[in-house]
Amino acid sequence: MSADTFAPSLPAAAELSADAAVVGAGPAGLAAALELARGGLDVLLLDEQAEPGGQYYRRPGPEVLDAVGDHRPEGGRLVARVRAAGVRVLSGHTVWGVDDDRRTLLAASPGGAALRVRARWVVAATGAYERSVPFPGWQLPGVVTPGLAQHMSAEGVRLGRRAVVAGSGPFLLPVACALLERGVRVAAVAEAGRPYTPGPAALGALRFPARLAELASYAARLARHGVRLHQDTVVARAHGADRVEAATLVRFSDPGEVVARHDVDLLCVGYGFRPQADLAQLLGCAVDRDPATGDTVPRLTPAGRASVPHVYVVGEAAGAAGAPTALARGRAAALDILAASGRAPDRGERRRLAVRMASLARFTRLTAALYPAPAELVPALARRLPGSALVCRCECVTAGAVRGAAAAAGGSDVPAVKGGTRAGMGLCQARECGPALEALRADGPGTGAVPARVPLRPLPLAAVLGPAPGEDA
Amino acid sequence: MTPRTAAAQVEVTVDGRPVLVRPGTSVAAALLEQGRWDFRVDPVSGRDRGPYCGMGVCLECEVTVDGRAHVRSCLERVRAGMRIDTAAGEDA
Ligand SMILES: Cc1cc2nc3c(=O)[nH]c(=O)nc-3n(C[C@H](O)[C@H](O)[C@H](O)COP(=O)(O)OP(=O)(O)OC[C@H]3O[C@@H](n4cnc5c(N)ncnc54)[C@H](O)[C@@H]3O)c2cc1C
Ligand code: FES
Repeated sequence: MSADTFAPSLPAAAELSADAAVVGAGPAGLAAALELARGGLDVLLLDEQAEPGGQYYRRPGPEVLDAVGDHRPEGGRLVARVRAAGVRVLSGHTVWGVDDDRRTLLAASPGGAALRVRARWVVAATGAYERSVPFPGWQLPGVVTPGLAQHMSAEGVRLGRRAVVAGSGPFLLPVACALLERGVRVAAVAEAGRPYTPGPAALGALRFPARLAELASYAARLARHGVRLHQDTVVARAHGADRVEAATLVRFSDPGEVVARHDVDLLCVGYGFRPQADLAQLLGCAVDRDPATGDTVPRLTPAGRASVPHVYVVGEAAGAAGAPTALARGRAAALDILAASGRAPDRGERRRLAVRMASLARFTRLTAALYPAPAELVPALARRLPGSALVCRCECVTAGAVRGAAAAAGGSDVPAVKGGTRAGMGLCQARECGPALEALRADGPGTGAVPARVPLRPLPLAAVLGPAPGEDA
Repeated sequence: MTPRTAAAQVEVTVDGRPVLVRPGTSVAAALLEQGRWDFRVDPVSGRDRGPYCGMGVCLECEVTVDGRAHVRSCLERVRAGMRIDTAAGEDA
């Protein structure tokens, strides 16, 4: 549908074209864009943040870096190389959908103006977001993801006076350290699994001493500050009226056993990262359910090529595996595209990269094995949610309502639960409640995965009316 | 939560009141540093909500910036002279 069918007074969407459009300027997108531009392609890099860098190299403004320090100067250097290679970098641009041709990207500029982007190759480098599992009180202000705590600490903000960091995964440790650095007292770190008790699962990781040493150094810093590290422990409830005031921690293996109750004004809870694969889905790429995480992941060749051959998915969007893997995946996809464009890159370079990626993949598997598998952890936590707990924070739908809808005839699939309760239909598009929603539906033959929906982000009206309208609301 | 003094501060308006904030941070950081966690009011429950994800996906941090509604404050940078309105300001 053209713009004038809908709003004749609006200017038509601006059009941009390039050999390759890369969506997401994190480590993966930056690495891909750099390699493609070096190979002679005309590259557009779109990202909705104020500056390139993604999550790992997220960069506050220069004034903050001057005052607070730059944790990852290599990020700034990579961005500079990308610009110098001639990549057209469009920061503050949100890609919110894909046109009916399943190729043209629909984007909105910082001012909300519509933009259409056509490219021979599309590289989805949209990263990951944190896996949330609801608990009573998680909607209270002051309850945040570990990633928010990390980012705000890097911006120099002291988020609270006393915090608990909880969930699962290696990320909790550096986040607790970042809070300490800002003068927040960290009462405890609660990890659902038992990764820090040396056992058989940890032994394989000994082959990667540098990465383990990094984790050990965080743990040592926490110990020096007297931070308790509770294992087999999860948040049962956040207490408070208008803001979080306390958190109750219980045993994961025995929720009846209270481990501690801490008075806090900041509670950071997250269960690792989930790939943001929705753009790949809108582009028509086949996806699978990862049995260990329950996440939707695009089906890819080792170089990142999707089932739709002009689309590549790189970085955490292809599966959470950390920044070094994201960089390697970005490069590998770019080299594959260059080869397919007849600009044969050095074969040896591709082989060396493949070896490096295999080694990184082994490390990722070993690290993952230390922590509980999300596909088991999330249902276990969702099952014990009291009926009054909010599952969908956007639409205020309780666990009880979701269970009721799932128990109704034909209600066991996620679309039916969403239709019946509006759970997962809110603005975040089930990014926060999705894993719990899937776990809460009655076991049955229903559709598990929460489908991708247009627009990927809510948008200013002008951007939506400019190009084609979104499908369902 | 005392703002650092290393860089000159810039003036913005929060809910109609002028405040000095550090330049170069996100709007969310600027509000949090003012001790604010009540960025928006949940329309269903009528309760306050504050930033949750810090990366643009939860939309709990939406505020009005220079009259533009639904701006994700965790993705937007502060600028001198910026007008920031939270739900609390709209009530007042
Ligand atoms: C909040 C958060 C904090 C993290 N902090 C750390 C950390 O401190 N240390 C660590 O080792 N790992 C961290 N991670 C894990 C991190 O995701 C990876 O290590 C690494 O950043 C992955 O790189 P990437 O390039 O795949 O994706 P990302 O770095 O996530 O980059 C993806 C980029 O795509 C943009 N994007 C996504 N969708 C769209 C769209 N539709 N339109 C426009 N732009 C879009 C995003 O804004 C982002 O800038 C963090 C993850 C999150 C979610
Ligand atoms: S805090 Fe989630 S979108 Fe800004």
